Amino acid sequence: MEPLKVVVSGPVGAGKSTLIRTLSETEIVDTDALTSEAIGKELTTVAMDYGTLTLEDQLLYLFGTPGQERFDFMWDVLTEGALGMVLLVRGDRPEDFPQARRQLDYLLSQQPVPYVVGVTRQDQPPVWGPEEVALYLGQPAERVVGLNATEPTSAVQPLVRLLELMLQEGAA
Amino acid sequence: MAIFGNFNHMSLGDLLPLLSVQNGALEVFNLEQHPRVTLYFRGGLLRCLYVGGRPADPLQARSTVSRLVSAKRGCFEFAPGAPVPRCPDPLGWPLDQLLLTTVTVQDEIEGLEQLLPHPETVFRQVRSQAPEDERLFDFWRRAQDLLQAGASARELAEELGMPLDHARYYLLKLRQSSLLQPVRARVRPRGNGSVAARLLDSLKRRFLGGRQAWNH
Repeated sequence: MEPLKVVVSGPVGAGKSTLIRTLSETEIVDTDALTSEAIGKELTTVAMDYGTLTLEDQLLYLFGTPGQERFDFMWDVLTEGALGMVLLVRGDRPEDFPQARRQLDYLLSQQPVPYVVGVTRQDQPPVWGPEEVALYLGQPAERVVGLNATEPTSAVQPLVRLLELMLQEGAA
Repeated sequence: MAIFGNFNHMSLGDLLPLLSVQNGALEVFNLEQHPRVTLYFRGGLLRCLYVGGRPADPLQARSTVSRLVSAKRGCFEFAPGAPVPRCPDPLGWPLDQLLLTTVTVQDEIEGLEQLLPHPETVFRQVRSQAPEDERLFDFWRRAQDLLQAGASARELAEELGMPLDHARYYLLKLRQSSLLQPVRARVRPRGNGSVAARLLDSLKRRFLGGRQAWNH
């Protein structure tokens, strides 16, 4: 059975590496480097994060894209041919929403990929809820789900929603 | 009186008040990666603008003036009394408003950097109503055919001969006016419905103990 790929995308600090670390059953491979500009953290992903999940003998690759736009060529490389995409954005950082929208619009106009949006930090109010973020992004409410990326039962919600929507749309 | 110099030392913004009381042509050359520009003034109005020896339409003229306003390199020389040539699309822009308009656009672009769409994102026209704003209308008119089929800022900038940031700016403004939407690449059915169902069941068992996850 051929492995399938799920891509986790979103702005810097959205929780992509954390989500993959929480869900992966293997040690995640990351490509962190010291940040060369002020982006609010010391290390950031420069190529990708990589984790795995095996479900009923089906191997799922979990790929996290770099958040910085200067690595945007990696977004396409990683998203092409993916089973689906989860775009994460931090609910307590509305200043990141424009970048999330730009990234989402770009990826969806380039790649025919099923997707959901995950709004992280739902456990740390004050935080934007998924309904409000859906309005900002111009997305249907069912496409946007709230989560805490450090908690497995919560971190899995975007994947669950993605598969549910794929089933509903018959696009799986 | 001779008016000449270099944008190193004097910006177009400094020049315009002088030119608003002159009739003639301002030649601008040695610009960085840009052909020679000629601006024709008469009666306090910018009547016509040529880029590389060809008349510019209003959209291209606006982008060119904006580029000149922010240019750090380039020589200029004013030819008093030079006649206004034939111009298929006469401009007639008052010089006192021209600077304000172009500086506002440039300032706005810098202020909106975080909001501007990705250069490769494809947008498509979703309403046929033309925008009321004059600047948006010029862009809309020139870009309409391309936007009906779907076009990115990079394609529009190349086709319409304007700076990429300006194309991104206009796309943002038209989107905010609900005239455009980003195009979604069409998801191809994989014809493998059982995969999602199988993965979903397995995910729920593994992480949720089989609980229903919808609307959590």
